[in-house]
Amino acid sequence: MFYIAPELSIFERRNWLIHMHYLKKEFDACKALIKEQLAETHGLCEYAIYVQGLILRQEGKIQESLEMFQKASILNPKNIDNLKQVARSLFLLARHKAAIEVYNEISRQQTSVDWEVLHNQGICYLYLKEFTKAKEYLKAAIDNNRHEISYIHLGRVFALEGNLQIAIDTYKQALEFSPENTEIMTTLGLLYIKIGQNQKAFEQLGQALIYNPSNVKAILAAGSMMQAHNDFDVALMKYRIAASVEPESPPLWNNIGMCFFGKKKFVAAVSCLKRAAYLSPFKWKIMYNLGLVHLTMQQYASAFHYLSAAINLRPKFGQLYMLLAICLTHLEDSNNAKKAYDQACMLDNYDPLVNLDYAIALYNWGDKRSAIKQLRLFEDKLTILKEVKSNDVDPEMEEVGNRLNAMLQIGETSSWKETPSHKNEGLSSPAEPSAPSVSSELDEQANLPSPPSESPSASVDKSSEEKRSAVLSS
Amino acid sequence: MDPLFLANSYFRRRRFDDCVELCNKVLQKNPYEQAFWYLKARALTEQVYVDEVDYDEEGIAEMLMDDNAIAKVARPGTSFNKPTTSSGGPSPSVRPTTQSGRPLSGFLRPGTQGGRPGTMEQAIRTPRTAHTARPVTSASGRYVRLGTASMLSQPDGPFINVARLNLSKYASRPNLSKVLFEYLFHHENDIRSALELAALTTEACQFKDWWWKVQLGKCYYRLGLLREAEKQFKSALNMIDMVDTFLYLAKVYVRLDQPQKALEVFNKGIEVFPGESTLLTGIARIYEGINDLTSAVKYYKSVLHHDNTHVEAIACIATNHFYSDQPEIALRFFRRLLQMGVYNTQLFNNLGLCCFYAQQYDMTLNCFERALQLASDEEMDDVWYNLGHVALGIGDMTVAYQCFKLSLTSNNNHAESYNNLGVLELRKANNEQARAFFQSAASLGSHMYEPHYNFSVLAEKSGDLHSSYVSVNKALTSFTDHIESRNLLSQLKEHFAAL
Repeated sequence: MFYIAPELSIFERRNWLIHMHYLKKEFDACKALIKEQLAETHGLCEYAIYVQGLILRQEGKIQESLEMFQKASILNPKNIDNLKQVARSLFLLARHKAAIEVYNEISRQQTSVDWEVLHNQGICYLYLKEFTKAKEYLKAAIDNNRHEISYIHLGRVFALEGNLQIAIDTYKQALEFSPENTEIMTTLGLLYIKIGQNQKAFEQLGQALIYNPSNVKAILAAGSMMQAHNDFDVALMKYRIAASVEPESPPLWNNIGMCFFGKKKFVAAVSCLKRAAYLSPFKWKIMYNLGLVHLTMQQYASAFHYLSAAINLRPKFGQLYMLLAICLTHLEDSNNAKKAYDQACMLDNYDPLVNLDYAIALYNWGDKRSAIKQLRLFEDKLTILKEVKSNDVDPEMEEVGNRLNAMLQIGETSSWKETPSHKNEGLSSPAEPSAPSVSSELDEQANLPSPPSESPSASVDKSSEEKRSAVLSS
Repeated sequence: MDPLFLANSYFRRRRFDDCVELCNKVLQKNPYEQAFWYLKARALTEQVYVDEVDYDEEGIAEMLMDDNAIAKVARPGTSFNKPTTSSGGPSPSVRPTTQSGRPLSGFLRPGTQGGRPGTMEQAIRTPRTAHTARPVTSASGRYVRLGTASMLSQPDGPFINVARLNLSKYASRPNLSKVLFEYLFHHENDIRSALELAALTTEACQFKDWWWKVQLGKCYYRLGLLREAEKQFKSALNMIDMVDTFLYLAKVYVRLDQPQKALEVFNKGIEVFPGESTLLTGIARIYEGINDLTSAVKYYKSVLHHDNTHVEAIACIATNHFYSDQPEIALRFFRRLLQMGVYNTQLFNNLGLCCFYAQQYDMTLNCFERALQLASDEEMDDVWYNLGHVALGIGDMTVAYQCFKLSLTSNNNHAESYNNLGVLELRKANNEQARAFFQSAASLGSHMYEPHYNFSVLAEKSGDLHSSYVSVNKALTSFTDHIESRNLLSQLKEHFAAL
């Protein structure tokens, strides 16, 4: 009896070779081979078409690759892989609804549950902004097969909905599953900052930096926390690493500027902040910081300009109006200062500082009755603030309040010049430098593609070509 | 009065028309009066004289059909064609670039705007702020125009009939040959005859006159025979060192796209003539051309040291200071230009920008007002564009939007304005509008990376990864080290590679 080696069917003869080339990323060789194979089989070799689609996709030609996969699925409608690739191509082309339909079709054909299908469906729903369905599918995907990508996307959905605590739990689970993923660690750290658990946030970010010391996002977040604890030198050290990786990042320059501000190097601070503003003219926080620095340097007109720019960019923010009012007080425009204070009080009914500053200003203008009214408001707010978080209250603020109280009671007429300016530095700087930096990493949500909004240029000088006078003529 | 004395006096007072008229009268009476013939030829030449030392704009034909290129893929820093290859220049996100990917210069001179385009399409498009189209070839550009203009002024036919000239006769008469040569070269623009005359004369004086060798080189350069020109200039330099010869030789090397060789020539010139500002300017220009701005500024500073009213040097240094975060110092340089009597839109525009960034708010708007008053229609767009930036700086989006729109009304092809309008629309969440603006910006200004990147981010947001991939790649070709684009690209690649 003879055993004849089964002759491979001619269509599939060179599939293994195509596969090998594809795995080695030798796309040119692969394409040549596919061409040959397709010519031989009159375009009927399914695997060759499939691989061609994959290659086209990696080269960024999604539309063509979609056509390839469609051809493959016509050749062999029973093969789930082809359909999956069709769906994926549709997804990459932003036709999410069509992609979901194809995935539904796949799950109808399939008997077992597939993680990939569930996960991709979840993501499609995420793009379509149907969060409940997205969550449902992503959870099902995780139940089916734990995979970090599904966790990351699920966490994102929760964060988008504002369920920070659940998002944190999700990321924690993800971290258990893949403990060395720096992206998850950084995101987790940022979420901790958002809900105010600074210690845990710092741990996470430190962990991320151990695994990847040049992770710019983590460096920025960690640096901003160091700044909050007045640890400017260490923060600057960290920023130096980040600056070599991303020399043109506006949040980075903003934070460096505020480090210098904390170290009382104002000129350096201004130039760093200006560079940040140049790179990203739409960030109100940079403008706010520039206003703050100029206020501290007693350049009130410049401070006014930056603050009004910041207000234009972000109209409803009490703190900005407060700084503007201080500015106007120094510029001796009491009418507008009053208006600004009123606006600040209206927009911010939580921060006692506004009322204190207002009271001092009113006292200096000689309007004692209103000053007392504002002082009472200040005290009310202070007690509320103390109840909420007792350790976070600036003792200086309380002391200034008491002194003002004493003066108003006694009815002393001596004016009290230094306090306002001295105070605002004290109070706003600890609040501020950290605030801008924190938000900067949470950028992903707000990420306007604005950075490259053209540098102010066009300053070409056409100062007339000069002609050199005639030389050389016999 | 003796007519010869009078004609000579007219000539020295540069009243060439009167001089020519007087000569005509005398020559009508006696056509063989040599002195008057000589004077007339010189007067006519002087009227259209252009200093050959200056750079000239290369024409489309020379640029695209350049068969002098030494290497297709030049090594970094050895070619004007690929200025971005040499490292150390300023980043395009801080200092904007021209069409060729070179940082903006502070002084507009031929070749600073367009650079050397890679394709025909790019060559035909007018570069930013220079609204005149490029001449088709430099041989037909300004030279032909000069030739015909001078023809018109003589209703009774040409002064010298070149075709009937016996050149060898003049070659042996050194007193007339030089004048005749200059006349042929500048006035008639008949390079072939001029070359013939120069060749005959050098032979007649046994190759001992350096002046004729330089003229031969000039003719060869005009005809595009660069290697022959190089030979002539070199042999002239062997006989005597002259500033002009150095400049001509360097010009040949610039045309041959050999910046390092040109630098060598200039440095040799500096050794002989230390402190010669034209040579120093040449060096600085070449450094600027190969994107080495630190060295360029160093040389511009030494130019200023020797000639402290050098407009080009002041403008370039000022621009450099402006883009390296020192608007206060730039302001001082620009003010110096104003004191020297430069009074035009560009200067006031720059002053306004410097004032704004140095926080001299009271002066900013005055400067821009003056700039707008002085601006011609072609320059209006850039002034409005910059005003838009000032409006952005004080956070007034409405005014900024209007400024960019006004910039577009004066120049419908202002790509930067389109891009910024797109960004503003994006802030208002008008994604479709923004997308349209980015697209038109990208199609108009292929040298900018911003619209491509913005478009790519927008497409990625909406999930259209394919368009995003295409445009982020375009952004990276014009700005290879843009971190955000790179991050985006690696994200996209991950998407594509996943099964």
